[in-house]
Amino acid sequence: MSALRATALRIAPRPTTTRRPNYVAGLFALIWLAIVLAPVYVLVKGSLQNQEEYTTSGPLSLPSHLTTENYHLVFQDGFLKFFLNTAIITVSVVAIVVLLVPPVAFAIVRNRSRTVTIVFRILLLGLAVPIQAVIVPIFYLILKAGFYDTLPAVILPTAAFSIPLSTIVLTGSMRDITSDMYEAMALDGASSWRTFRNLVLPLSRGGLATVIIFSALQAWNGFLFPLILTQSSGVRVFTLGLFDFNTANSVDAPAICAAVVLSIIPILLVYLFARRALIRGLMGVGGK
Amino acid sequence: MATTTLMVRRRLLTRSRSSGGVKIGRPSFLWSLPAITFFALFAIVPLGVVAWLSLTSWDGIASPHWVGTANWSAMFSDPVFLKSFRITALLVGLGIVTQTPLSLLPGVWAAGYQRNRAILSAIYFIPLLMSAAAISIVWLSLLNPYFGLPRELHGVFGGGLFNGGFLFSSPATAIGVLTFVGMWQWSPFHTLIYQGGARAIPEVLYQAAAIDGAGRFRQFFHITLPQLRNTMITSIVLMLVGGLTTFDSILILTQGQPGTSTEATSYYMYVKAFQSFQFGEASVIAVVLAVFTTLVSLIVVRLSGWDKMRSTQEGI
Amino acid sequence: MPSGVASPPRIRLSTIVSKTFGEEESLTMMSSHRWLRRGAVTGAVAVAAGAALAVGGAGASGAKATASSSRPANQIQILAYGDAQNTVEKWAVQQYNNTAEGHKVKAILNTIPGANYQSKLQTIMSTSAAPDVFFNWGGGSIVQFQKAGLLMPLNSFFKQDPALKSSFLPSIMNAAKIGSNYYGIPMRGTQPVVLFYNKALLSQDGVPVPATWSQLLSDVSALKSKGVQVPIALGGGDQWPTLMWFEYLYDRIAGPNLVTNALNGSKSVWGTADSKKALGYIAQLIKAGAFGPDKSWDSVKFTAGQTAPMLINGIAAFELMGSWDYSTISSQGSTATGTAPPNGPGAAFVKAGKLGWAAFPSVPGGKGNNSDLAGNTENYYSVLATTRYPQAVADFLKIMYSPAFAKQELAIGNLTTTTNTPSLISGADATWLKWQYNLVNHAAHFQLSWDQAYPQTDTNAIHTAVANYFDSLSVSQFVSAMEGLKPAG
Repeated sequence: MSALRATALRIAPRPTTTRRPNYVAGLFALIWLAIVLAPVYVLVKGSLQNQEEYTTSGPLSLPSHLTTENYHLVFQDGFLKFFLNTAIITVSVVAIVVLLVPPVAFAIVRNRSRTVTIVFRILLLGLAVPIQAVIVPIFYLILKAGFYDTLPAVILPTAAFSIPLSTIVLTGSMRDITSDMYEAMALDGASSWRTFRNLVLPLSRGGLATVIIFSALQAWNGFLFPLILTQSSGVRVFTLGLFDFNTANSVDAPAICAAVVLSIIPILLVYLFARRALIRGLMGVGGK
Repeated sequence: MATTTLMVRRRLLTRSRSSGGVKIGRPSFLWSLPAITFFALFAIVPLGVVAWLSLTSWDGIASPHWVGTANWSAMFSDPVFLKSFRITALLVGLGIVTQTPLSLLPGVWAAGYQRNRAILSAIYFIPLLMSAAAISIVWLSLLNPYFGLPRELHGVFGGGLFNGGFLFSSPATAIGVLTFVGMWQWSPFHTLIYQGGARAIPEVLYQAAAIDGAGRFRQFFHITLPQLRNTMITSIVLMLVGGLTTFDSILILTQGQPGTSTEATSYYMYVKAFQSFQFGEASVIAVVLAVFTTLVSLIVVRLSGWDKMRSTQEGI
Repeated sequence: MPSGVASPPRIRLSTIVSKTFGEEESLTMMSSHRWLRRGAVTGAVAVAAGAALAVGGAGASGAKATASSSRPANQIQILAYGDAQNTVEKWAVQQYNNTAEGHKVKAILNTIPGANYQSKLQTIMSTSAAPDVFFNWGGGSIVQFQKAGLLMPLNSFFKQDPALKSSFLPSIMNAAKIGSNYYGIPMRGTQPVVLFYNKALLSQDGVPVPATWSQLLSDVSALKSKGVQVPIALGGGDQWPTLMWFEYLYDRIAGPNLVTNALNGSKSVWGTADSKKALGYIAQLIKAGAFGPDKSWDSVKFTAGQTAPMLINGIAAFELMGSWDYSTISSQGSTATGTAPPNGPGAAFVKAGKLGWAAFPSVPGGKGNNSDLAGNTENYYSVLATTRYPQAVADFLKIMYSPAFAKQELAIGNLTTTTNTPSLISGADATWLKWQYNLVNHAAHFQLSWDQAYPQTDTNAIHTAVANYFDSLSVSQFVSAMEGLKPAG
């Protein structure tokens, strides 16, 4: 695609000059933007209000008095521990994915044997397996394996379900490595390991970045696996902490808002720094 | 997007195939073993276990014991289960109908090169970063009939359209809330897909159209939309499979209520398994769900005729 | 990438679509649907292998309780229902940890927030994550565990420490007795369901506290005419608060025997004239708009803290709720969840004497006694049969009958059931506690909440049945749903 667009760009010096901004779509985007922003505003404002004001004044009203108390409370209430657990899970999932996926992607791209084709088909099929369909047996297996209510109980299935997508994204970007380069390596007499390390890995860094962001987001925001496979507060993740916070008898809405805001911050930072990789990944290009 | 990428890629691949034959440096299948074993352990083996569990009775305390097809006949005479298909279909349908325009238009717009685009897109994509749990909790609090938006915006919510602000009290508005929250949560994601698709439309098409005197609307309907056909199918398939497995938002927002009118299939499975402890019957639902999502994917692939579409694109 | 459960397939398929073109060509030149079909066949083989594996593995694993040696060393896990009252449980655990035994074997408190408590408990009881000591409601809530051999009879503890039994009211101890063995030590307080009301609102609108059913109906219409939107707050979104209306009306109209018979396996009771009469009374109240506009209650949740502010802010006048609502209302709007003492608008409301309470109104002509109660008899700590440190557990349980513990419970509005409780009541909440103690003491019958009396496998069906009746008023649907329960467990 990039090659083609480059050609298009060469023909037409700058799209802005040939394309008028699309006002209709722009207006539409703006309206929807307001709807998107409203809850975000409520969230941030709510997190800075005390509970009485939050309950009695409407959610959209302007705050009259701001406080950071809710953030203190969130930290007191064990959320720090929940964030830590979530971070451990996220890092572990990413580590497993980064360890397992590049080799399989390399094999899929460069090994044309029947076995590898089957491997690839199983992974493709895996894309259509919804987590809900296997949650009961995973629960059963995790129980039997004695992993119930531990962090690995969440890490292992989360990582496993990140594999198909990650593999496909990565094969996409490995495929963009031209065969001339492989041939050059082969002429040097490079082993598959050397080819992998010196050619494939460096050239698929972009795809790897996308894979890391995908699996990190997946692990960070995961809900069903922790809901089913953990129980005690020592291994609770923040999504579950939020859910529990919400179902406890006396609800502290501003504190929930503060917890939600805190939960977005790390991901927002990652997003701001890696926006391009993420968007490219979602566009299905695979990154470069 | 995919189409043009494809053309480029095809050219590259053709070249690589003709010049192939190099054996050195190719990895053996062993390279794929760790990942596939790991994946099979948590995704494929469980599919087998769930098929077996569906033929047993298990309450989570005693061990599962064989009951044959009893769970299957019980589930297929369970009105709530059968109704859950209708609800799921409704949620999926509404999701597609509402999210498509809401992601198509902003996506096309964001594909342009306006100066403020980057900032607006960054805000626009915030829901994408939030966990479904967080999103649902925020909306639950916002939609409290006595202390949330319905009271503050009484003029809007007071009418019959919103059931007087009691959004979780009528099946129509409860489904409406789930659809809306889904829309809020997922539109940005699909916008990204459309943005990518729209960017890949060759500029020359618009230039040619402009020379022919086609206005913006004609350009949109005669160039943008047809060119986005692949993208649209991609996006719709995603909405389809995602909608079939809607769970978090139902758990937090409606819990299948009022009555059983938002009891979608995947949520009903959760209730059966982890609230009623009828794991056998829950496994029946899980098997049906797995078969169903796979079938739907296959049917969509077939009906949409991706391969045919690709060849029509070749001419461009 | 989008989060949560629904997301994986979405993303994955996006890539299928965009990547397929590349894959397909380089790999096999198949058409896209064909590789998927091939994939399905390959998958099916793998699935079959998985099934074989699972069946093979299952034979070996039974419902054996975890051996005590595999339990964590030097700690006992205490599991409690997570809510605003956990402050006292935290206090008790600290007390224990400060003792000599507590220095050797540490007690660790875990809480599971209300809505999920019972289901999570069932999930973990047969696993290595099972708690050594856990909160429950006695009765049907522990029968299944007892049958599965997961519970330790406490009789041996009583031999060693007779006060562990004799300090509590016998009727309360009996509610956690199965056969001749005791399985629970009371650990919070008795929780009858009573009618809470906004005293200020009632007197402002000149509405009397209802003593009879007809008075309740006339109150409802009077309040509505004065512009009260929701005469009676109901957290219908949780379903179980709805059940309380059934418990009382069935008792008042049919007498306690109907439910006792049902629990003993009689299904016909639900179709009797008395049963239908009780349902008719409920319908009367709903049709009068007592719970707000039709089905509006489904948009309100008690567990999300939504009914307490309704009562406090005068949106509603009444709420039928367990006695725990006292602390829920008191802590409403406190700066921090579980702040002791509470300092929000709820605390001010209670302190100003605006919160009123009354027994459920009588129903003239009914078979039930006006003093009958419904609710949670007590909350109990039960002990896992395989606990590694029975002595530590016994020491921990001792705290439950200490006067200091009772005082802590009383301070947050819980009515303990130790025999010396009346002498310990003092302070700001004394009126409330003494009234409640009298109520419980003079009750002719105390009906354990149906959802606790039935086994956990029926809970969901009961909740659905009562919620559906409130929405649809279909007598036949309710009767057949109740007939479908399996009380034998």
